[in-house]
Amino acid sequence: MASSNYSSEFRLISNPRRVPAIALLLPLLLSIFAPIALIGPANAQEADNEVSPEDIWSDDYLNQVFPWYGNDKLQFREYHDYFSMKERMQTLADRNSEFISFHEGLVGGVNARGNQMGIDDYEGWFYNHASPWLKITGDVAGGECNVYVGDCGNYADRPDVMLVGNHHAREWMSYEVPMMFIETVVYYYGMAGVDNDGDGLVDEDGWDGIDNDGDCLSLNSSNQDSNGDGVACGPGDLGVDEDFSEQFITDMINTREIYIIPMLNVDGNRYDREEYCGESAWENCRTSGWRKNLRDNTVTGVTPIPDVDEEVDEGCDGVDLNRNFQFEWGAPLGATGPLFPGMCYASGPNNDVYNGPVDTVDQDEDGKLNEDHVDGKDDDADGLIDEDWMGGNSEPETKFIQDLTEMNDDDGDGASEFKVSLTWHSFSELVLWPWGHCTNCYSPDDEYLVYHGQVMGDMTNYAPMQSSDLYPTTGDFCDWHYGVHNSYCYTIEIGNAFHEYPEDIAHTAVRNLGVPFYMIEIADDPRYRAIVGIENTTSSQWLASPDEIHVPKNGDIPIGLCLDTTFPFTTDINRTHLMWRLVEPTRQQDDFGPTEWIAVEWEKSAFVESAATCILLDGSNGTIVEAGIPVPDTSVGKIHYKAMLGTTNGAFPFTYPTLEEGGNYYEISIPYRAGFGSTILSLMMFAFIATMVWGGLGYTLKEMFNDDRDALGLPAEMRTKGDS
Amino acid sequence: MQSKDEPTSDEFSGRLGLIFATIGAAIGTGNIWRFPRMVGANGGGSFLVPWLIFLFLWSIPLIIAEFALGKRSRTGTVGTFRIFAGKKFAWMGLWTAWISTAIGFYYAVVTGWCINYFQTAIRGGLGSEVDTVQVWNDFLQNWHQVVFFQLIAVVITMAAIWKGAKAIEKVNVTLMVSLFILLFAALFLSFVMDLDDGSLDGFVYMFSIQPGYLSQPETWINGLSQSAWSCSAGMGMAITYSVYMRKDEDTTLNAATMCLANNSISIIAGLTVMMAVFSVSDDPLAAVSGGSSAITFLVLPEVFAQAPGGPVVQLLMVTMFFLALSFAALTSMISTVELCVRNFVDHGIEREKAVGFTTLAIFLFGLPSAGLWILVDSDSGVAFPQFLEVQDHIWGYGLMFSGLFIAYSIWKYGWAQYRAWQDENEITGFNFREYLDNGVSPFRDDFINTGDNDWWIGRWWDYIMYLGFPLMFGVLMLSYFSDLIFNAEHNPWNPTNPDGVMIILLFWGVTAGLFISMNKYILINRVTSRNGSFWPSNWELEPRPLYRNVPKGAEVSIKELPGGIDPFIVEAGETIPETFVNEYGETKTHTLHTQ
Repeated sequence: MASSNYSSEFRLISNPRRVPAIALLLPLLLSIFAPIALIGPANAQEADNEVSPEDIWSDDYLNQVFPWYGNDKLQFREYHDYFSMKERMQTLADRNSEFISFHEGLVGGVNARGNQMGIDDYEGWFYNHASPWLKITGDVAGGECNVYVGDCGNYADRPDVMLVGNHHAREWMSYEVPMMFIETVVYYYGMAGVDNDGDGLVDEDGWDGIDNDGDCLSLNSSNQDSNGDGVACGPGDLGVDEDFSEQFITDMINTREIYIIPMLNVDGNRYDREEYCGESAWENCRTSGWRKNLRDNTVTGVTPIPDVDEEVDEGCDGVDLNRNFQFEWGAPLGATGPLFPGMCYASGPNNDVYNGPVDTVDQDEDGKLNEDHVDGKDDDADGLIDEDWMGGNSEPETKFIQDLTEMNDDDGDGASEFKVSLTWHSFSELVLWPWGHCTNCYSPDDEYLVYHGQVMGDMTNYAPMQSSDLYPTTGDFCDWHYGVHNSYCYTIEIGNAFHEYPEDIAHTAVRNLGVPFYMIEIADDPRYRAIVGIENTTSSQWLASPDEIHVPKNGDIPIGLCLDTTFPFTTDINRTHLMWRLVEPTRQQDDFGPTEWIAVEWEKSAFVESAATCILLDGSNGTIVEAGIPVPDTSVGKIHYKAMLGTTNGAFPFTYPTLEEGGNYYEISIPYRAGFGSTILSLMMFAFIATMVWGGLGYTLKEMFNDDRDALGLPAEMRTKGDS
Repeated sequence: MQSKDEPTSDEFSGRLGLIFATIGAAIGTGNIWRFPRMVGANGGGSFLVPWLIFLFLWSIPLIIAEFALGKRSRTGTVGTFRIFAGKKFAWMGLWTAWISTAIGFYYAVVTGWCINYFQTAIRGGLGSEVDTVQVWNDFLQNWHQVVFFQLIAVVITMAAIWKGAKAIEKVNVTLMVSLFILLFAALFLSFVMDLDDGSLDGFVYMFSIQPGYLSQPETWINGLSQSAWSCSAGMGMAITYSVYMRKDEDTTLNAATMCLANNSISIIAGLTVMMAVFSVSDDPLAAVSGGSSAITFLVLPEVFAQAPGGPVVQLLMVTMFFLALSFAALTSMISTVELCVRNFVDHGIEREKAVGFTTLAIFLFGLPSAGLWILVDSDSGVAFPQFLEVQDHIWGYGLMFSGLFIAYSIWKYGWAQYRAWQDENEITGFNFREYLDNGVSPFRDDFINTGDNDWWIGRWWDYIMYLGFPLMFGVLMLSYFSDLIFNAEHNPWNPTNPDGVMIILLFWGVTAGLFISMNKYILINRVTSRNGSFWPSNWELEPRPLYRNVPKGAEVSIKELPGGIDPFIVEAGETIPETFVNEYGETKTHTLHTQ
């Protein structure tokens, strides 16, 4: 048997069954096959001429699986409804209480107009929900707290942004896009640069509507239009704007106060979903549905107004919230409205743009009613402006926007903090800005509104235009925000239907994701942002890249920033500084190839003016300001750095590298720069080590071949014992 | 059939043979590329402090234990644990053998790389004009080449161990002596290079203690792991080679010599690399400390290509270095294969068969490491073998458990002797004082201080084995796992994360689970069914004999050991009992022949 041939050793089944020593080899198989099954194919080296999406991107990105995972709603494969949306908002706020707080409506008190308001006053007429909203800013529990609004985290030096979705009940994408924004902020806030799409690059393609890294363009043409809008490698396609800067998001959250109200018109939305169109509204209501809120307008002609039956009268009830704001409130020009506002007759004229009841209060108590309409002018020439309005802001939803705007006054100057505001609607693929109430009229900021509108139009491939060029509207959100509160306000008309197909939610939301971030970025001073954008000032300035930096033998490492000589940067270190951090590789990063860096706190270094000149990117002369990174000579590792610039007129931050350059941060390797030690001491150490190791070896070798003696270290008493 | 003229036991011809074989096993690529990298990354001279301390606290004591175990059991790892820890613990030996063999799978590939770099160097393919990244990527991405050189490594190894201890000894002596000469020559050239700019900064860095590093736990942990891996302590290699010890061979001074020789070579290799790198590189620390093992193949050729003295010296230097590296790798490869082969031979399989079979397996199972998942690091553009690195990640620390098992055998023996002492003196109950007096030192008294030892081992060894070892093992494991868990960027609990902790636990768990559940069958030679049914309850198990390799005159009783009383553990050439008593108390005959 011992000589049995080799093959029989393997034949386990043969009789007699020998359990061979070879059974020991089972684990070998384990070692080989299990990792294959576990890890899956990772061979990225196929030399194929046809680049397929699988070659470039991770499976998750390829299938547009968002990295926060979760159910179909969280993955934007299915619409949220009011309840699931609110629950998600609450969950995210609970989990991220350091930068998000959750609210519903406002706490109330005496508002800016002297009215006593309570939480009930912001609840919808029919279902009685106040609009849920999130406040997003770094350290949201710190700063000043606002008793009326109910939020904390109010900072006088942080610009405020208002983002509002779903004025119109049936425009379901208009709250999905804000939800996508929220998920994105929550997931990426505070992260070091990550590779969103799995192509090995970090932050290589930010929001601008262009395939900056050319990954989409490298595909064959059948794969270039993943959203099927007919534009190859355009906004919303896979590979376009797919790897934005996490650092940018973090910086924005930390320097802005964001008020996001994904679903303003909860009443109307519930009605649209639960009664009017149904859960799968895209099948029967693709381009129709319920638009307004649920104000009870019905007048039967017999009973006094309004009637008290709580059923919604679909022919009559509801106010178009986006016509109810107070600026130039009134009947849409050229459109129809009820003859007697607030009344509806069985066959009477009501319509989808009904703007709410006429005001019956003499606000200035001068005995005259509605004599000075809200339009920024002193209509009755009494020295007061807009003091007795005709109507508008009559609905709980618009009152909520009104009081949130007017009662959120961080710096106590009496003016609204919201320098920019954004509202999402659908559909038509448009970017709109004021004015809406007049045609062939232009706002004083027209040039700048157009500039930002075009940038956002490029970002989404949506058509930018003045609102009234589409059709005139009065009392809309943006006219009021801009007209009354001087806030740069934009309306985005998302997509191609009120109720988009569920499979279109994800890519449509992705396409619209850059816009809110852009609005947030320009919130510090939208006018100035437009000026530097038009003049190309800030994007021709540059921060020294790693290959331009000379690391000195010792001392601080100087980092230069080339500025336009007229650029009004502030010397306040809180605004203008170099952000840097030293990161050292961990053992894992050492041993197992590249992994992402673990977050290290940023440090700040002030920029100091120097006499040196430099050439700006547009070829003109600039001046260099310099910041020193004070790392000890003994430090080894990588320094991440980026510049933040504030201007004397309050704009902050302009970041370098710019978003065009990735918006991330530069990384420079810092070698060990100190001396390596003292020659004398090292010689002594060498002598010691050599004695221990080499000497020890020599000694053991000598002992080994010395047969004359007893064992080394043998205790004396044992030696004697051995001798005897 | 067993050829009649073959000796039934095998031994090294003398002390030098044993020393060279063990040194060869201990000295591997870890001394030549890992050690300099560790020195660079852990503050130069600061690293040498823990490294030296743990040489005496970990490596030497453990190797002493291994020698003592192997010399008494006279079998490979499976047999050793069967005898010393008891029948139920034969799987520990299997684990030890498996870890070594699993490492061997990819180690053969790495050895192949070294051989390839040597042949590239000697043909002038690593000159100063060459882009080393290109050379590396081209080589690694061409699996034909990688497999070819892997095959060469395996064939050389097979040839070396085919004939057993005497041949292993000869090959090791030749390779080791050559390695010493090559390394000394390279050291000299490095020294000249470093002195060229007027300062010996590489030398100075390597021997300067930076106090900051000494206060970092990582320095100590790296020092410990380097010391443990470098000497192969706990790998079972010393157990295997001690099987071939002559009867009166020393087990203690040999252990010290082997470890000291290993560290001596580390210093030489470290100095060579440090001085060469510091003399030419702008950022020497990044060059020696950064990145994975691939750095050796990228940085060092570049460094050596800049050696002073013209192309001839440069060629000489790079060739010598990679030849030395190949030799170091090959001798370690030899011990790895021998460790596995020994276990098969112990269980009655002919040596030639076992060698052929093991080397074939090592070649086949190394293939995925050679050619699978060769990726390119997007930052540096350097190719790296993902599969191989995953294997390394999984099995590298498994070695520490082998060390733990050895310690366990020692504790167990001590405990058994304490019990025996209690019985003898009719004492019951546990008394700590008595345990310290009678239960802690028996292993040392009975197996180490046997009278053949040239170095009498004192009580300190007990302290290390009972207190120091668990402490060091615990700290090492704790730091390793906490590092894996808390410093991981990707989810470490995701089993598909190759750098994660889950993949390790999974593989360890499955392997250990398999071995433990198979333990019974390690001891079983043959299964027949009692009544034709395949159901295990109807199986009749025939014991597996264990053939001990006992040289003439070295017969010592193993009866007092936990697994020693077993008629089927015999010395090679001895007859095994005609019959045995099975689990049902029936007396049975068996199908075995005396070997």
